[in-house]
Amino acid sequence: MAAPITGLLKPWTPRLFLVRWSRYNPYYLEPEPRKELYNMPETELTTEQKEERELKAVRPIKATTNSTTSSVFNDPVLSKFVNMMMRDGEKILARGILTQTLESLKRKQVEKYHKAPQGKKAEIECNPYAIFHQALENCMPVIGLASIQKGGKFYQVPVPLTDNRRRFLAMKWMITECRDNKNRRTLMYEKLSQELLAAYSKEGNVIKRKHELHKMAESNRAYAHYRWW
Amino acid sequence: MTLHRLFPLRLRQTVTQVRLLHGSGCGHQLEEVAMEPELRKETSVFRTQVNDPACQSERHLGQYYTLPTSHLHTIFPHGLPARYQQQVKTFNEGCVMVRQPPAVRYLLCILHQEGNDLYVSKRPVLLTLTGWVDGLKGSGKTMSLCHTIHYCSTQGWLVLHIPDAHLWVKNCKELLPSSYHTSRFDQPIEASNWLRNFRTTNERFLSKIKLRQRYTWTKRESTEKGSPLGELVDMGVSRVKSSSDVVGAVLKELRLQAAETEESEGFRLAVAIDGVNSLWGRTTIKKEDKSPVAPEELTLIHNLRKMIDNNWCGGAVIATLSQTGSLYSPSSAYLPKELLGEEGFDSMDPFIPVPVSNYSEKEFESCYLYYLDRHWLQHPHSKTDEGKKEIIFLSNRNPSVLERLCAFL
Repeated sequence: MAAPITGLLKPWTPRLFLVRWSRYNPYYLEPEPRKELYNMPETELTTEQKEERELKAVRPIKATTNSTTSSVFNDPVLSKFVNMMMRDGEKILARGILTQTLESLKRKQVEKYHKAPQGKKAEIECNPYAIFHQALENCMPVIGLASIQKGGKFYQVPVPLTDNRRRFLAMKWMITECRDNKNRRTLMYEKLSQELLAAYSKEGNVIKRKHELHKMAESNRAYAHYRWW
Repeated sequence: MTLHRLFPLRLRQTVTQVRLLHGSGCGHQLEEVAMEPELRKETSVFRTQVNDPACQSERHLGQYYTLPTSHLHTIFPHGLPARYQQQVKTFNEGCVMVRQPPAVRYLLCILHQEGNDLYVSKRPVLLTLTGWVDGLKGSGKTMSLCHTIHYCSTQGWLVLHIPDAHLWVKNCKELLPSSYHTSRFDQPIEASNWLRNFRTTNERFLSKIKLRQRYTWTKRESTEKGSPLGELVDMGVSRVKSSSDVVGAVLKELRLQAAETEESEGFRLAVAIDGVNSLWGRTTIKKEDKSPVAPEELTLIHNLRKMIDNNWCGGAVIATLSQTGSLYSPSSAYLPKELLGEEGFDSMDPFIPVPVSNYSEKEFESCYLYYLDRHWLQHPHSKTDEGKKEIIFLSNRNPSVLERLCAFL
């Protein structure tokens, strides 16, 4: 569809039946899966929310993806991780691997918890979601490198990264590490749980890779002026 | 001590009506529980200290009792489901929920309590545990069977537990033609494994029971009349080739001797079979000329069928019907007639069907609280009401689905 000018838009009905596509007319609104917002009575809404509600009565809404749920257990970071692990569109398999990973993480930690003496119990983290988020945070690089061309040569220039890019890099490194460096006989969920536990305690190959990136960025400090943004 | 660790909302119940099924053992434990503070309206008790299955009555329905570790290793070397064994390892304790049917236990109590005259004339009581209500997979049949076996074991019965009869009719690595009967086939690996586990479960009976007959295995090897059963079992474990015949001999001896009336030497026999419908189904085992083997042609199955026949007394047969491991049966089949087939139904007849269904509300509560106590439900939202409603919705209170769901929550 051509880039429309939002000001001249009229109520528009599609000629063809649209399925979820990444390029929607900006006229379309995002879907809202959270249940609490619909249960709020009129008085509690702010002015923006009231305006949004009025818009929703008039404007069309994009179709939701299959993985959007109104469940309380929905986690956008985990969904992103599942999508990145997915191959050939097999979401069920990828999600199964993730649930098995969370289960094996929990099992290891709960076993340690029950066998630990009373004093040490408070230090053991049993929540697999907390471990996952913390491990991912420990793997996220602070600074990245960009390849910039200057005078016929390409230099690796240290560059700040956006949050999305950092999260993406952490997840990508985790997945490639588990795919490449595992024994033929170990299953993916087993290796993932080992790596996540290691990353939680700031050890392991993924953390090493992050540190190497930081070292490269530090060593290339001189080229920082090549960045113009 | 365990109760003190629980958070203070848990209260112990007062003893209102005590139904003592057996004298001395229960007395202690119930007295401890007796003089405690009053019941509150919503009791959130999910654990009970009464660890002896004989003393458990309807008051304890839905509550978890702990299996002592020694019992876990001796009585259940091979009986428990795989996921439950993992759970035992993780939680560092084995807890079983007391569920309906107590009918099973009451019937067995009747058998035990009533006098010796009942001993002789009583045919074996056949009880089957079936998943009722729409072919319930994962509703807790194997765990109920294990609960009953625990009861029988603590009462001093001799337990013959076949963990999964489906494993004997499929995926057989070695099939030998039987030495005893030319048209039958032996399965040495399965038979020797089973004998090893049988030995672990019933150590104390092995030296007491004496053989009534002389058994010749080869030209040079034979077991004399009057030697203890332990010797026969050891022979079966060491000489793997004749282990299936040893199994047949053991079953025959036990059948003959279960009807003894003398107080000191008599014992009660409990035969517990999981997946009994495999005995009359089809097998996936093939002979060398690729023709399929019928279940009657397997020595182990043939001997088991003789156990289920009604011609011996002094014990009980408890069986589970399961569609999950069964071969060539549709996944929607759950009624005994469909799973057993005509032949099977006729040989099992008459039997007492005992239905096992999904958790009731009280049982679900109990399970949920148990998982909370063991730090198994870790997701912050799973501890809220919303999360709980969602868990009920997703699992429909089916025990195995609930377990798998809570595993990653």
